[in-house]
Amino acid sequence: MEPRRDSLSGFGLGLRTQHYPAILEEHDGRAEGVDWFEIISENYIDVGGAPRRNLMRIREHYPMVMHGVSLSIGGTDPLDMDYLAGLKRLIDMVEPALVSDHLCWTGVHGINLHDLLPLPFTLETVRHVAERIARVQDYLGRHILIENASTYTAFAADEMSEWEFVTEIAERADCHILLDVNNIYVSAFNHGFQALDYLAGVPAGRIKQIHLAGHSHEGDYIIDTHDHPVPDPVWELYGRAIERLGPVPTMIERDDNIPPFEELVRELQQARALSEAALHKREAAQ
Amino acid sequence: MSGQLSRIQAAFQHRMLSGADGLEPYLAEGGHIGVYDHAYRARLQEILAGDFPALHSLMGDEAFGQVINGYLDAHPSRRRSVRWLGAALGDWLRETAPWSAHREAADMAAFEWALGLAFDAPDAPVVAQADLMATAAESWPGLRFGFHPALTVISLHHDVTGFQQAVTGEREPEAAPEPLDRPASWAIWRDHDSLIAMFRRLEPDEAAMLDNARAGADFSVLCDTLSFGADSDDAAMRAAGLVLGWVQSGWVSNLNGDAA
Ligand SMILES: [Fe+2]
Repeated sequence: MEPRRDSLSGFGLGLRTQHYPAILEEHDGRAEGVDWFEIISENYIDVGGAPRRNLMRIREHYPMVMHGVSLSIGGTDPLDMDYLAGLKRLIDMVEPALVSDHLCWTGVHGINLHDLLPLPFTLETVRHVAERIARVQDYLGRHILIENASTYTAFAADEMSEWEFVTEIAERADCHILLDVNNIYVSAFNHGFQALDYLAGVPAGRIKQIHLAGHSHEGDYIIDTHDHPVPDPVWELYGRAIERLGPVPTMIERDDNIPPFEELVRELQQARALSEAALHKREAAQ
Repeated sequence: MSGQLSRIQAAFQHRMLSGADGLEPYLAEGGHIGVYDHAYRARLQEILAGDFPALHSLMGDEAFGQVINGYLDAHPSRRRSVRWLGAALGDWLRETAPWSAHREAADMAAFEWALGLAFDAPDAPVVAQADLMATAAESWPGLRFGFHPALTVISLHHDVTGFQQAVTGEREPEAAPEPLDRPASWAIWRDHDSLIAMFRRLEPDEAAMLDNARAGADFSVLCDTLSFGADSDDAAMRAAGLVLGWVQSGWVSNLNGDAA
């Protein structure tokens, strides 16, 4: 079902407008140390002017992946076909290697709360989400990736662990997974489960991309703020993930407190080095 | 869809929008639901502060915070992209007490919103000056104009442009926006080559003619809207000159009146 496109490998960054001058002017669109960029789909759907021109100038030099925040795949409103049509127009323009959104809901009754809200881990939700993912994939004519979100509350009705929930949906829908290692760490801390159990429980073959990010520690809980460098425990978990999964395209998300481009590129080198070390370990163990 | 999932989502959303109870029985013990409560308003407040920096500066933190809270209550987002969250803010300020008594706030919101549209509205063709000039004289009366999506025309009671330019240029504004003797129209658009947002104040006759053109009137009707008494040749000259200016500025996408 996959049309021909760039296959993705290596290490990427979330594309942020603050970095346009560094990418386009200082590096003439070819910055060293970054293999691809991820864009937030909503920022470019049916948009013209400078945002579109800059996007396509950068696209000339880099593979891209598209990451959505408002598909609301777990929402109980009908799928928003206007949104999907816009997403498809953007896919046709950008020709991304991957298209992803979050395993969450964002609002009901026609309202969008612009947040990635938690789902109860029940069979009812599994059926609902899997059926919707399958319809989205049919409509777009390609696989999508579903990302595990950071959550701050669980539900009394939960019938399974989050990794069982993710796995069950991915198998039923035949979709791929965007594994956010920071979100695993955050949710493990917030809900008191073992992050390594999560890693061991997800279907390795379906994981096509990894997110890394920083967070904010609030004492008895952690918020997924994307405003700090990737912290040590998340790096460590990332190493374990690569040991288990093998090479997976990996990127760093930074949405607030955004440092100069070069600084993020340096942080990305850390991911490269860690991934390489983890792959050696993996080879040695096999 | 009925069932537990939709009941949970309805209760969750109700809580986020209005602080209503009703979600608690669905939650597992020991969570941090307050993170979501706080994040909703904080995030949208930040988005709107970014979209309306001069309004924020004009009103100050406290009043701006009150405005945004009231606005979000009246207009929860119904669009997928948060880009559109502030679309109704200007109208809401104009119609809602006590802000309606401070018309400069509604004016500023309308101006900043139009600048945003000029920045990222969808691309569309622009009619070249040569194409207009190549139009045969006998075709002129029937010309209709389709306008570029990045063009907005707004009517303001205050000249808010100097204040806005100072704020976004990171200069201290010299004075609060002054009320005008009578409302005036501004055109806001995107320069076709540089893609930079532009604006200029319109003379009353140009504003009236542009309104009519945007409503679909053809060139012969536009000439009639210019009041040159009995001298229709002068009116036609003035109208043609204005249309040429629109084309040179990249406002016109086609000469058949289709929506661009
Ligand atoms: Fe993520």
